[in-house]
Amino acid sequence: MTRTTSISTAGPAGRATARGADLEVRDLTRVFGDGLRAVDRVTFTAPSGLLTGFVGGNGAGKTTTMRMIMGVLAVSEGEVRFGGAPITAADRRTFGYMPEERGLYPKQAVLDQLVYLARLRGVSARAARAEVLEQLERLGLAERAKDHVEKLSLGNQQRVQIIAALMGSPRALVLDEPFSGLDPSAVDGMVDLLREHTARGVPVLFSSHQLDLVERLCERLVILKGGRVVAAGTPAELQETGTVRHRLVVGGDAGWVRGVPGVHAVDVEGSVALVELADEGATRRLLTAALERGPVHELTPLRPTLAQIFREVTA
Amino acid sequence: MSTTTDPRPHGTPASLQDSQDAVGRLNPGAWLLVMNREIVVRALNKAFLVGLVVSLVLIGGVLAFVAWQSERTDSYTVAVVGDDATAVAVAQTARERGLASAEAAEASEDGDDGDEAAAGAAGFGAVAVPQADITVLEVADDAAARTALEDGTADAWLHRAGAGDPGAGWTLAGWSEPSGTLTTLLGAGVTERVLADNAARAGTSVAELTAGSTLTTERLDGHAVDRTFVFMAGFAFAFLFLMGAIGSGAMVAGSVVEEKQSRLVEIMAPAVSLRHLLAGKILGSSVIALAQNVLFAGVGLVGLSFTPLAQTLPAMSVSLGWFVAFFTVGFVAVASLYAVAGALASRTEDLQSTSTPMTMLVMAVYFLTFSASGTFEKVLSFVPLTSVVSMPVRVLAGEAAWWEALVSLGILAAFTAVAVLVCERAYRGALMQTGGRVTWRKALTAEA
Repeated sequence: MTRTTSISTAGPAGRATARGADLEVRDLTRVFGDGLRAVDRVTFTAPSGLLTGFVGGNGAGKTTTMRMIMGVLAVSEGEVRFGGAPITAADRRTFGYMPEERGLYPKQAVLDQLVYLARLRGVSARAARAEVLEQLERLGLAERAKDHVEKLSLGNQQRVQIIAALMGSPRALVLDEPFSGLDPSAVDGMVDLLREHTARGVPVLFSSHQLDLVERLCERLVILKGGRVVAAGTPAELQETGTVRHRLVVGGDAGWVRGVPGVHAVDVEGSVALVELADEGATRRLLTAALERGPVHELTPLRPTLAQIFREVTA
Repeated sequence: MSTTTDPRPHGTPASLQDSQDAVGRLNPGAWLLVMNREIVVRALNKAFLVGLVVSLVLIGGVLAFVAWQSERTDSYTVAVVGDDATAVAVAQTARERGLASAEAAEASEDGDDGDEAAAGAAGFGAVAVPQADITVLEVADDAAARTALEDGTADAWLHRAGAGDPGAGWTLAGWSEPSGTLTTLLGAGVTERVLADNAARAGTSVAELTAGSTLTTERLDGHAVDRTFVFMAGFAFAFLFLMGAIGSGAMVAGSVVEEKQSRLVEIMAPAVSLRHLLAGKILGSSVIALAQNVLFAGVGLVGLSFTPLAQTLPAMSVSLGWFVAFFTVGFVAVASLYAVAGALASRTEDLQSTSTPMTMLVMAVYFLTFSASGTFEKVLSFVPLTSVVSMPVRVLAGEAAWWEALVSLGILAAFTAVAVLVCERAYRGALMQTGGRVTWRKALTAEA
């Protein structure tokens, strides 16, 4: 932990330390007035100290789940747990939250409204000001402290918003699309910031639709579709559940692979074929057949990308 | 359920768990921070400041105009044929009356003369002798008089109607319609002169004829306020209510929807009780609305002291005091209704439609109260919200006793308490419902 803050003291009296508190969601369900089950028995864990990515298409239920975790929306069924016990209002007060919409108070100065938000949580004016200035400095916004939020670029507005969520050493972070609208270097800066919080044992749950980003960043993934969890685990675990394909490169035309039993040719183009192999026997038959016809330059397993897995599980 | 927003107040066992720590504790002073922010943001708002200055200039301007009107002495030139001694005498009488009236007004203005009759002569309503400086222009004949009217050297021409018939009366001719002030003064001159002549012919005198014919009015309750003034004051109160309620109400609604639209309220909700948020907003906007009305009232009272209406100051101050008290209590109800209007909207664009019922209500109060009178006004003075305007007006008119005002204030306070409770529920119910406008029913029945 490289960062010390002047605002919060250590973990609350009821729990020995902030480190090690997992954020769990069990059979969480939200039924709206019109009978729509926006979130349907969603269960997953955002472990302490890890970045958990929350992915899914539009309307998959990501925002609704996050709003229930934060207590902004009532839970229809199921529960949210923090540190092994049902979550309390006091727990939530220590969470950092970034809602789906941005903007804050468009016509108020950046510094003033961040200090205001911190003071609402009970931080003294002086301590709030010191932390906000430090955070603005870190994110390169020190000169914009007096500017109205609406005058900032979208990326900078996003930074201000994340400062609002990160103030006061939160014990868990729930971030709805924290990377949307950020350029690659800004994403890196944001990731560094989040890593500091995971380093001190904080669970970070963030939603995103940028799969490449999620694949690169997070230690755990939860994929949502139609309000349900369709896949969850580490990226490696998910890749194992995905269908592994092989790339075969031979000397001549590879069209013959279509006739090999147990081999499903996904795509053949000249001497390159993309195949799915049903079992070990199929691998042997394919290689034997290839060697009979001439040189074999390559036979490599292709690990599926998250984008492929995502397409498979949400198809 | 443990997973909904915990409504338990600070101090219950659940929060005792964290009570030794700043982290996780509900901030008991949050409402004060919210209130401060509302006030500061509003006080620095350019549109608000411009509106405030324009209103103050308008109030000052109207009163300055009244003061100027009362001091002004218009000059007129009246043509009479020099040969007609009666006409000359009538014109001279009118001239003397006009000048006397102007002097009396000036005397009361300087405070040398507190006599109500003198002040009343220049004020609203009273049957007053207008102030004027009349110059009598004697001309050779009727033709010369016409010429004087045509070329503008005279404003009017006084002559006998009919040729030599004493019963035909008099005519005041002008190139266009003669001025009302002039007509009144010369009318009085003619009456006085003809009465004197007729009396002499009958062997008596005007004094004898008119002896004992005066009628003066007297109020035993000591209210030196006439009906026209009460009407004007009622209009002013209704207008102050309208300005304060709509202006500051819209501010509350705008500030609520701003936080809802940007989801700021979702960031604040876990940290701050929504009750604090609402209370801070209502109190902040009430302070602004009240300060604005006190400022208007102060400027109005100071301005009033420079006009002939200065005699109404004591009665007006008492009435204004009641108005401020009623407005303060009533505005809290208006502000909570507007807060719900803000919470029912999803974006700023929805405000127009969600706040329409509130705006209609405020407009209804305005139109009903400033035109009301008699029994209807008496009823209105006890009905919440219309009582804000009607009761102070009745107090000013001397029609309502102090205990009536207190009872009405009590009814208003009860209404406000109920309105705040209902609105608080609707506010909390609607605030987290995103996507389109929320109805009152959905807001009041929402789970969270």
